[in-house]
Amino acid sequence: MPPADARLKALFALDEPPARDPEFSTRVMERVMRRRFQEEVAWLSVMALAGAAALWILWPVLGPMLVTLSRGFAPALGAIGLGVCAWVVLGGRPAAAPGAVT
Amino acid sequence: MILTSLDESLVAAAQRGSAEAFSRLVDRHQRAVRAFLRRACGDWAMADDLAQETFLTAWARIGRLKEGASVRAWLCGIGYNKHLTVRRSAARDRAREALYEAERDETKDALSEDKLALERAMATLPDDQRACVALCLAADFSHAEASEALGIPLGTVKSHVTRGRQRLLQALETSHAAC
Repeated sequence: MPPADARLKALFALDEPPARDPEFSTRVMERVMRRRFQEEVAWLSVMALAGAAALWILWPVLGPMLVTLSRGFAPALGAIGLGVCAWVVLGGRPAAAPGAVT
Repeated sequence: MILTSLDESLVAAAQRGSAEAFSRLVDRHQRAVRAFLRRACGDWAMADDLAQETFLTAWARIGRLKEGASVRAWLCGIGYNKHLTVRRSAARDRAREALYEAERDETKDALSEDKLALERAMATLPDDQRACVALCLAADFSHAEASEALGIPLGTVKSHVTRGRQRLLQALETSHAAC
């Protein structure tokens, strides 16, 4: 490299940030995660609103159908509910999540 | 080659939604992006803000990055566009600008005469020429890589680098003669 270029390069090197800067990286990732969270909340809100609107529109049809069905299925649903309760109480409880305090 | 393939695997993981992989890309390229923006806009605080914005945009657009493309050139390209947008924007926050200037003056006090002469000469270069110099002379980008990053034809990059180099060396000589 010619001396003039080496001199330029040495002067430019004074602008170099550190090779590793955890503070900068943390700030960037904090903003990335915040944006990701906001996008997820926005998506879930839209889905919840769409679901609520669909239910509101379909309720005149769904309501009577559910009443009819629930009469027929009530005993079966009751039995399933009791079975699940018994399974949980008698030791079939799901394992604690990793890192959870027990 | 190994570093490039590491970048490729990190990009692939980030494209699948891995924030951890993206965080490693930030670690690996923050220096290059920040150094480039410092040289391109001459304002360290603003350059760091732009670098953060660059990585945020990169996260949103990571899916568009083609396989085998240079990550640092891509990031510098995003940063350069952000810098141009800020430069062209008329509605700048004046108070913030004053703060930047104050910080810049503090930094300047500690710099040598040569460095000040270089900074002044860089400030006189047109945006494109300045960006080409910042990438090719200061950051060891090849002309082709700089052309890809800035979206400027290869021949124009070469002439910008040659002319920019001449002007910088001339400014340094003048500064020495004045001393």
